[in-house]
Amino acid sequence: MNPNTPTPPTEDPLRPHSYDGIQEYDKRLPNWWLFTFYATIVFWVGYWGYYEWLHVGPSNHQQINKAMAAIEAEKLAATASTKLDNASLWEMSRNPVFVDAGKVTFNSICATCHKESMRGVADGGIGANLTTQTWIHGGNPMDIYATVTNGVLVKGMPAWGPVLGQKRIIEAVAYVLSHHHEGEPMTVQSTPAAK
Amino acid sequence: MSAQKTTVEFNDKVVRQFLLASVIWGAVGMLVGVLIAAQLNFWQLNFGTSFLTWSHLRPLHTNAVIFALVGNMMFAGVYYSTQRLVKARLASDFLSQFHFWGWQAIIVAAACTLPFGLTRGQEYAELIWPINLAVVVMWVVFAVNFFWTLARRNEPSLYVAIWFYIATIITIAMLYIVNHLAIPTSWTHSYSLFGGVQNALVQWWYGHNAVAFFLTTPILGIMYYFLPKAAGRPVYSYKLSVVHFWSLVFVYIWAGPHHLLNTSLPGWLQDLGMTFSLMLWAPSWGGMLNGLLTLRGGWDKLRTDPVIKFFAAGVTFYGMSTFEGPLLAIKSVNALAHYTDWIIAHVHGGTLGWNGFMAAGMIYWLIPRLWNKPLHSTGLANLHFWIGLVGILLYVGAMWASGITQGLMLNATTEHGTVLTYPNFLDTVNAIRPLMLMRVIGGTLYLAGWFLMAYNLWMSIRGAQPVNGTIEVFKDEPGHAAPGGLSVAGWVMNPPVLFSVLGVGFACAWMFGGHFVSIAGLVGTMFCAVVAFTHFEARRNAWGDWYDRLLVSAVPFTVLTFVAVVAGGLIQIIPTVVIHRAANVEDRRQIPYTPLELEGRDLYVREGCYLCHSQMIRTLVPDVLRYGDYSRLGESIYDHPFQWGSKRNGPDLARVGGKYPNVWHLRHMENPRSISTGSNMPSFPWLLSNALDVSTLPRKIAVQRQLGVPYPQWTDAEIAASVDAQQKAIAKDLRDGGAYVAPDREIVALIAYLQQLGHYEKVVPTGNAPTLAD
Repeated sequence: MNPNTPTPPTEDPLRPHSYDGIQEYDKRLPNWWLFTFYATIVFWVGYWGYYEWLHVGPSNHQQINKAMAAIEAEKLAATASTKLDNASLWEMSRNPVFVDAGKVTFNSICATCHKESMRGVADGGIGANLTTQTWIHGGNPMDIYATVTNGVLVKGMPAWGPVLGQKRIIEAVAYVLSHHHEGEPMTVQSTPAAK
Repeated sequence: MSAQKTTVEFNDKVVRQFLLASVIWGAVGMLVGVLIAAQLNFWQLNFGTSFLTWSHLRPLHTNAVIFALVGNMMFAGVYYSTQRLVKARLASDFLSQFHFWGWQAIIVAAACTLPFGLTRGQEYAELIWPINLAVVVMWVVFAVNFFWTLARRNEPSLYVAIWFYIATIITIAMLYIVNHLAIPTSWTHSYSLFGGVQNALVQWWYGHNAVAFFLTTPILGIMYYFLPKAAGRPVYSYKLSVVHFWSLVFVYIWAGPHHLLNTSLPGWLQDLGMTFSLMLWAPSWGGMLNGLLTLRGGWDKLRTDPVIKFFAAGVTFYGMSTFEGPLLAIKSVNALAHYTDWIIAHVHGGTLGWNGFMAAGMIYWLIPRLWNKPLHSTGLANLHFWIGLVGILLYVGAMWASGITQGLMLNATTEHGTVLTYPNFLDTVNAIRPLMLMRVIGGTLYLAGWFLMAYNLWMSIRGAQPVNGTIEVFKDEPGHAAPGGLSVAGWVMNPPVLFSVLGVGFACAWMFGGHFVSIAGLVGTMFCAVVAFTHFEARRNAWGDWYDRLLVSAVPFTVLTFVAVVAGGLIQIIPTVVIHRAANVEDRRQIPYTPLELEGRDLYVREGCYLCHSQMIRTLVPDVLRYGDYSRLGESIYDHPFQWGSKRNGPDLARVGGKYPNVWHLRHMENPRSISTGSNMPSFPWLLSNALDVSTLPRKIAVQRQLGVPYPQWTDAEIAASVDAQQKAIAKDLRDGGAYVAPDREIVALIAYLQQLGHYEKVVPTGNAPTLAD
C-alpha cells in the first residue's frame, strides 16, 4: 500500500482511510509471528505424513494393545515368581506389614459393601459378613483369594484382579484372614440358586 | 455533484437495552456458577431439591454466561460499533426491538426449563427443540437487521470489525442449525439426528466453534472498534488484520476433534484436530498482537483509565488462553488434562479473562456515551478491575493445580506400571478438595467485582438522560474516492482466491487421495505455495487492490467468508455421516436398549449425569486399567444423543453395567455416601419416589426406528409388556437384596439402563465395506 497522505517522518505510515475516526498503521507482520505460523504448518505436514500418509507411526489401537500386552506379561512373570498357597497366606495374615497394608485397601475398596467392620449385611452393608465362619464361596485362603481376584459377578462381587493387582489383593486377603484362625471350623453355604 | 447533507441518528436505545441485560444476566449466570462450584465441596447446597442440583444447574450456568452475558454484550457492541462504522442507523427499529425482547424471552425460557431436567443432553446445546427454533429465528432477525444495515451503509468500505461480525453471524447460523437437527418425540423432548461417533463429531465441531465464533470472533470485532477508540491510537497493523482474520476463520473450524483425542474417534480425525489446533496458535496471537501493540504509546493511560486496564488484561488473557488451547490439543498433554479441572481452568481463563474483562471495558466506555453523564466512580471501576483480576488468578491457579494433581493421580501406576496407584477414584477427588474451595473464593471475588460494576452503572445512569449518537452524512456523494466493487467474475478470478482454493484442494488430495493422487497432491501443494509466494512478491499491489475492492463488496466478502469456514466442517463431517454405519463398529455392535432401558437412558440425560461421568474409555493404559477394555466405535452407534462426556467429576461409566448389584445402585442414587464415604455426588432420592412416565415411549421407539436403530415393529401393548416384565424382575432382585421399591418407580428404569452399559455383541466383519479408518 502506498500511502497517499503525507505523514510526519517520525510516525509510521497510516492507511489513507479512517473509520469513525479509527486509523490503521500498515506495519509488516512480525517475523517471529510469521515463522511460528510456518513452523506449525510444517509440523502438520510432518505429523500427518508420519502417522496418516506413510503409516510409520503407530495408531492409538496399536499403541494401547502393545502396552496392555506388556502389562499382562509383567503380571504373568510376577505370578510365576510368587509362591502362593493356603499356608503362605495364613503366614501373611499374622504379619503386621501385610495386615496393615491390607487394611488400607480393605477400608478404601472393600468397605463400601462389606463395611469397615467387615460385617457386611450384618452392619447395613451390601456384601457378605466376613467375620463369621460361614463362607459363600469357600473360606480357605486360596478360595478367598480367587473370589477377590476373579469376582462372582452374579452375586455382585466385582473382579478386583485387574484393578488392584496381586500384591494388594494378597494383602487384603491377609487382613480378612487376620480376623480368623487357621484350622477354625468352617461352613460353606450352598449356591445362590438354592437360597 | 450535489452532495446532500443529512443527519443520521443512531439507534442507541437497543444498545442500552442489551448492555443492561448483559450486566443483569451476567450476574445471575455467575451466581449460579459460584453455587455449583460450592456444591462440589458441599453437596448439601442443593437444599434437597432437584432443580438446584448440580447437574441441573450446570447447563444453566454455561448457557447463561455464553448466550446471556456474552450474547447480550456482543449484540450491544455489534450494534453500537456497526452503526458508526458504516455511518447508518440500524435498518429496522422493529427488528431491533424484536431481537432484544426475543432474545430475553429465550433466556427466560432456558431458565424455566434447564433446572427441571428439560435438556437435549449435549453441552451448550442443551435447550429443548422449541427454544432451538426460537434461537434460530432470533439469529435470523439479527442477521437480517445487520446485513440490511450494511446494505444501507454510507461508508462503502468495511472495517476489520465488520469482517469479524460477518464471520460470526454466518458461522453460528451454520453450526447451530446442524448441531440441533433432531426429531421431536413430544413438545419438550427430541432425539438428535446424529448418534454415536457422528453425534460426537458434530457436537464438538459445534462446541469448539461456538467458542470460536460466539466467544472469540465477535469480541475480536469489538476489540478492533473499542480498543483503538479508548486508547486514541491507530490500529497496529492492517496487514496483520487481513492475515489473522482469514487464517483464523479458516483454521478454527478444523480443530473441533481435539475435544475427542484418544477416544474411539477415528485416528485421522484426531490427527486433524491436533495439528490444526497447533496451526491456530499464530492466527489467534495475531489478534492479541494487534490489540496489545495498538496500545503502544498509550500505556500511560493504563495507570488511570479502567477501560484500558480491562482491555489490556482481557487481550492478555486471550493470548494466554489461545496458547494454552493448542498446548492442551497435543495428544500426550491431553491424556493428562482431559476430563480434569485443567480444562475448567482453560475455559475460565478465556471467559472470565477475555470475555468478562472485554465486556467490562466496553461497558465502562459506553456508559458516559450512552447516558451523557460521566461514570459515577472511576475508583470503583478500578477496584472492580483489581478484585476481578485477583479472582481470576485464584480461580485459574486453583484449577490448574487441581487438574494436574488429579490427572497425575488418576494416571499413576505402581508395581512396574501394572496396576493403578490410586484405584479408588474418590482418593483423587478428596485430594483436590482444598483447591476446589479456592476456586469458589476466586469466583466469588470475580462476581463481587461484577456487582461493583452493576452498582456503578446504576449510580451513573440514575436520573441521567439517555442520548443517541448522531452523524452527518453526505447522501449523494459517490463514496470517498472508493475503488469500485467487484464483478461476479472478480470474486473468483483473482490471485488470492485462486491460490487459496487450489492450495487447499491439493492439500486435501495429498491427505485423502490414493497413492498417485496423494503424491500429485503433495507436489501440487508445494508448487502452489511457491507460485503464490512468488506472485505475491512480484504483484503485491494487485493483491492489495483486489482486497480493497473486496472490502466495498459486502456480498462477495460474506460468500468468501462462508466458503472459508465451511470447508473444514464438510471434510470432517461428511465422510463420518454418509459412510455405512455397520462397517464402522470395530467388531462390536451395541445391543439396542429395551424399552425400559431407553426410558432409563432418558432419565440419565434428564438428570445430567453426563456432566460428571463420561462413557468413553480412552486408548490409554490408566483408563483401561481403571475402567476396562477401551471403548469401540460400535458400542455407542445407537446412542442419540451420544453421552461420551467431557469431564470426570466422577468415574467413567462405559462398562459399569454388571459391575455392581442392583441394590448397590439403588442405595448409591438414594445417598451416594451410604456406599462411598466422602463422595461429593448429590443424592437423587426423587428417583425412588417418582413414578416413571412411559406415555411417550411408543413415540420414542418409533423415532429411534426412524433414526436407524433396529427396533422391531412393536405394538404399544408389546412395549408395555416388555417394560412391565423388566420392571418386575429388577424390583424382585432389589427386594431380595433388602430394598423395597415399587416396580414403576424411575430408579428401576435408571438401574436397567446402568446395568446394560458396556454390553455389546461381537460382529463378524462382512466383506469390503469402506470404513472410517481408511
